[in-house]
Amino acid sequence: MFFRMIDKDRLPDLVRGLAAEFEVVGPVAKGDSFVYAELEGPGDLRLDFDSTLLPPKEWFMPPRERIMRFATADNEVVDCEVDAPPRVLFGVHPCDVNGLQLMDNVFLGDRPDPYYKARRENTLIVGVNCQPSDTCFCNAWGTDETHWGFDIFLSDLGPDYFVSVRSVKGAELIDRHVESREITHQDTRRFQEVTARFKASFPEPLDTSQLPLLLDAKFDSPVWDELGERCLSCGACSMVCPTCYCFDVKDVLDPDHAGGERVRVWDSCMFRDFAAVAHGANFRESRSSRVKYRYYHKQWGYLSKFERVLCVGCGRCTRACLAGINPPEVIAALQGAMSREEVAAE
Amino acid sequence: MIGIDGHVHPEVETVNPYRPHRARITSIVDLTDNEKLFELRLIDEESRAEFSHSAGQFVEVSIFGVGEAPISISSAPSKQGFIELCVRRAGDVTGALHDMRCGDIIGIRGPFGRGFPFEQMKGSDVLLVAGGLGIAPLKSLINHIHDERHAFGNVTILYGSRTPSEILFRRQFEMWQHRDDFDMVLTVDQADETWTGEVGLVTKLFDRIDVDPSNTYGAICGPPVMYKYVIAEMRKKSIDADRIYVSFERRMKCGVGKCGHCGVGHQYACVDGPVFNYWEAMNLQEAI
Ligand SMILES: Cc1cc2nc3c(=O)[nH]c(=O)nc-3n(C[C@H](O)[C@H](O)[C@H](O)COP(=O)(O)OP(=O)(O)OC[C@H]3O[C@@H](n4cnc5c(N)ncnc54)[C@H](O)[C@@H]3O)c2cc1C
Repeated sequence: MFFRMIDKDRLPDLVRGLAAEFEVVGPVAKGDSFVYAELEGPGDLRLDFDSTLLPPKEWFMPPRERIMRFATADNEVVDCEVDAPPRVLFGVHPCDVNGLQLMDNVFLGDRPDPYYKARRENTLIVGVNCQPSDTCFCNAWGTDETHWGFDIFLSDLGPDYFVSVRSVKGAELIDRHVESREITHQDTRRFQEVTARFKASFPEPLDTSQLPLLLDAKFDSPVWDELGERCLSCGACSMVCPTCYCFDVKDVLDPDHAGGERVRVWDSCMFRDFAAVAHGANFRESRSSRVKYRYYHKQWGYLSKFERVLCVGCGRCTRACLAGINPPEVIAALQGAMSREEVAAE
Repeated sequence: MIGIDGHVHPEVETVNPYRPHRARITSIVDLTDNEKLFELRLIDEESRAEFSHSAGQFVEVSIFGVGEAPISISSAPSKQGFIELCVRRAGDVTGALHDMRCGDIIGIRGPFGRGFPFEQMKGSDVLLVAGGLGIAPLKSLINHIHDERHAFGNVTILYGSRTPSEILFRRQFEMWQHRDDFDMVLTVDQADETWTGEVGLVTKLFDRIDVDPSNTYGAICGPPVMYKYVIAEMRKKSIDADRIYVSFERRMKCGVGKCGHCGVGHQYACVDGPVFNYWEAMNLQEAI
């Protein structure tokens, strides 16, 4: 990794330069919130955003996407083309950069997903540092920083940006489009100070000790019944999650039924039929079993495969949940929870 | 973009795991009112040559305009060039398949998943227990054992159905009851006038079998309720937990560990299973 300094008032040059070659997507204001959208110009870019309603995953795996066109006669594939324009995602917080890496494990690992892969390869990531909001708990997982998974990372030092350059492409674009200078020893010091202030601004990290073990040991805990009572099964937590990757696949016929398209849409393990099979069996019929499964998979199932939890502490689900269910509380409740035997003994 | 290892990955032409290969239906046999046996042949020569499976693996049957359904391969790996599927009419995809005719073309993806540890089972006795449609994946194992019968010790098959008319492969299995190289026992929950065999749950048959616990593998497939009881019987016969293999049915879409539907405990049935040994399975929450 190498580093450059860019003056803040030079940043629009970079955005304009990139726009000549790429579709540039970044956080823009929408009402009281922020969303990722294609920028019309550098003025739209709001690097002071707290979070976006939807995470960046939608640019790699859209909520609904065609995975192939088919002809019904003789069951033939017509094409499997992927729409993957050259794109820059400008302004991604460390939590979300980590989120993409967790998605990568699933979609770029064993038997890679060609659609996700094509978009990932055609998308440059420009990361940017942030300030914790009251729903952030990334410090629990170490996802408040990121060392991989971006091309360029901007750290705001006040009048200028301390820029980490990860990829050849990132280096090339900086050289080409914006005036920058070498870092000095003093810049590094300033960067460390900003980092220290950032780290100090978090509340105490969540107690996540022995979480997988507790999830197993307290699998029958009444905590889950109580959460099941509250959960509305709306799936909002999954939709806004930067690491929820589950999907459903559907065939949509053209009006003449001669052809059609196979589409995939985001799905959620919170939905009632998610684990339903033919002949009436449903492996997670109750809401409590589904809430539990979501936590169980994120904090243990995924971990058992990839050695990381499937959560980056972005706080989006906390804000989206109408029933007020959120990971810090669920985890705290589980840490303190009694098992069913203990409850019975009381 | 750069990978987690920090290196730029060269663009590689990715094999599309969602793209079905076309297969022609070469024969259809009515097994019962609701189940048919389909024999398929992949049309593309290259995919046909590449296709090789182990007993217990499944394919995704793909019918464009309707959807996809995971179905176990019933034929033995040795039956090269052809794939047999034993399919119950259960809904959209299986219904559409049932309405098809010989010569029609469907799509196939796979084979997927982990099957039974055939090589490891060699040299041992095998006790197979099937309930209802659970015979479909076990049929592949039975056929494979049949092909290499000399490599195994005693082979016992306990197969329970609700009624005699629902017994799959009935004629073949009734004949097998007279073979001495397979110990085949059929039972039904409710007998009818054609039935002279056993009546009662498949677990009842355990009273009449002898098991050498030091050298026996168990294999179980059936409806979700069955596992607990059959496993208990096998454990009573002192078969080690890690020598009992179970095959699970879960909802599945992709077959390649991505869509998330088939989660069972901390595993996915499509890539980590559908066959698990019981020692693994008992550590999977909500599995049994
Ligand atoms: C590894 C594996 C191996 C299998 N092997 C075989 C086999 O060898 N032979 C065989 O016949 N079957 C097998 N199955 C089962 C088979 O996959 C299902 O019967 C099949 O997927 C049904 O698909 P369908 O489109 O025909 O039915 P669908 O139309 O999908 O549904 C059938 C029924 O399921 C229920 N259902 C479906 N979707 C929902 C939902 N969203 N919410 C609530 N209920 C719903 C409904 O009651 C519906 O009537 C296997 C399954 C797995 C996982």
